[in-house]
Amino acid sequence: MSDSVISFANVSRFYGEVLGINNVNLAIPAGITSLVGPNGSGKTTLMNLMTGLIRPTQGEIKVLGVSPDDPERLGKLVGYCAQFDACPKGLTGYQFIYWFLRMHGYTPAECDRKTATALERVSMTPAAQRPVGAYSKGMRQRIKLAQSIAHDPQVLVLDEPLNGLDPMARAETIALFREWGASGRHVIVSSHILHEVDQISDQVILLSQGYVVAEGEIKGVRDEVKEQPMQILVRCNDPGGLAARLFQQDHMVEAKITRDRKGLLLRTSDADSFYLLLNNVILEKGLDVESVAPADDDVNSVYQYLIGGEGAAV
Amino acid sequence: MAVYKKTYRPYEGELTASWSRFLVIPRYAFEELHGKRFLTFFFLASFIYPLICALIIYVQHNTSALSLLGVQQGARNLISINVTFFMSLLGWQSVMALFLAAFIGPGLVSPDLANNALSLYLARPFSRAEYVIGKMSVLAILMSLMTWVPGLLCFGLQGYLEGWQWMRDNWRLASGTFFGAWVWILVLALLAMALSAWVKWKPAAGGLMFGVFFVASAFGGLINVVQRTHWGNLFNISNLIGLVWVQLFEGSNQTTNGAVFFRATQGEQLPMWTTWAALGLLAYICLYMLRRKIRGAEVVR
Repeated sequence: MSDSVISFANVSRFYGEVLGINNVNLAIPAGITSLVGPNGSGKTTLMNLMTGLIRPTQGEIKVLGVSPDDPERLGKLVGYCAQFDACPKGLTGYQFIYWFLRMHGYTPAECDRKTATALERVSMTPAAQRPVGAYSKGMRQRIKLAQSIAHDPQVLVLDEPLNGLDPMARAETIALFREWGASGRHVIVSSHILHEVDQISDQVILLSQGYVVAEGEIKGVRDEVKEQPMQILVRCNDPGGLAARLFQQDHMVEAKITRDRKGLLLRTSDADSFYLLLNNVILEKGLDVESVAPADDDVNSVYQYLIGGEGAAV
Repeated sequence: MAVYKKTYRPYEGELTASWSRFLVIPRYAFEELHGKRFLTFFFLASFIYPLICALIIYVQHNTSALSLLGVQQGARNLISINVTFFMSLLGWQSVMALFLAAFIGPGLVSPDLANNALSLYLARPFSRAEYVIGKMSVLAILMSLMTWVPGLLCFGLQGYLEGWQWMRDNWRLASGTFFGAWVWILVLALLAMALSAWVKWKPAAGGLMFGVFFVASAFGGLINVVQRTHWGNLFNISNLIGLVWVQLFEGSNQTTNGAVFFRATQGEQLPMWTTWAALGLLAYICLYMLRRKIRGAEVVR
């Protein structure tokens, strides 16, 4: 397996008789990868496995070619931000980052420098000398984020990192993720906030009841969900005429004209045939098309189709 | 798939030796303990007895000091600097170490478990063994300063004043102090850590430290009475330590039965191997308890 991906080969993890994850095969490339799934779907288990905090019951994991059984090498590669508040009692924000940096083996001067940089990145410098216990929820979230990025890791594993952040901090944090992803790092994020996942992710891994339901780019995943008709929004000057023409086709499932009567929201089981037909209609009728855009190739829709309600795949 | 230019460069500067990383834990812990006045006072107070011992050794060898105190030359042997002297020093200091372990021990692991901090330690270049060694070293360093360090300093002072020949003749006092103290330190540190990992309420964990000694000893006594045997002594940890000390200090030529809190019951000695086996079993149980609790992620079934 390549040294540039995080790989899971037939990995299962059971907690006694309770299934954590089952038979997972993944190769996570650089960029931002979001783990999406309901509570208990195995997101945290997957993260704990790739940070070496738990061992798989079976299968093999490699993080950029390094086994999680080798904490000396893995710890240098990985930065982990846990879902729950996790900080030894009584530490100030500065000490929290500084002491954990010392465990990486940096010199005191280097630890000072890296601590200051990490605090600055999450805008926590003014509160650095206050005890973590006295921080607000959002500040604790940011200080956790700071300790996970302080040693400048190549792989960032962030469990619900946007929880508790105000909109400003959220936007800043998302910008940080983008910057890290763009620099060739692996940023693994778990989140329940699907529209944010949509904004930041290069690829998603959808989990349900311990199984990987889908993985890859959102659009690619959506294209694979053939049993759910594709929703497409066409804005044009004659949506009624277009609808009448489209309903002659077998693959058309539904069509709705928007309230402003300048758009047609349609559902089709064969998107390729639809696009071909649309080209013909434009040529035949001289239709003036303003825009054509898929309306359900986002994480929210894919989540609904694969995991939520009747469309559950597992 | 997005294609990015890889600009990330990992740190390539100097790092401290990996074997020394566990020392980060005691370094931080000492800073925290230094802020607790009672502990600082208790720690300093624990050096009173070794200072008195050093004074006795000094006065024993200083004729002008003896005459100043009005002590006749022949009376200097009232307090002999012998195996009993050094074993008593170790005994008193070890009792102090027990109190120290009861004060500090419960606060070692339980706060990390209560605050979900183990995942932070173990998601670094830091193994579970290093975490346990780091936490244990907090107790080991402090208890060393209270037990074998003053013991060896007193031995050195006596040897310096009495001469090289005395040191050669009494080398067992030094080795007995050193190894005897370490047996006690390891037992105490492991017990304190294991209890700290399992009992999250600090006062209860501290009380349990004493409970393990007294309840186990009472249980052992009960076995002795009911079964009319001596094997119940294996449950009496202070008795086991006393036996180990006597062996380490005197070898096969035994003239004492331990010191202070650590006395082996006269005429009820068990084979030495059983003593070592019982202490080994206690250490194993503590390590097993730690193994169950010191995990990066708590497994809730």
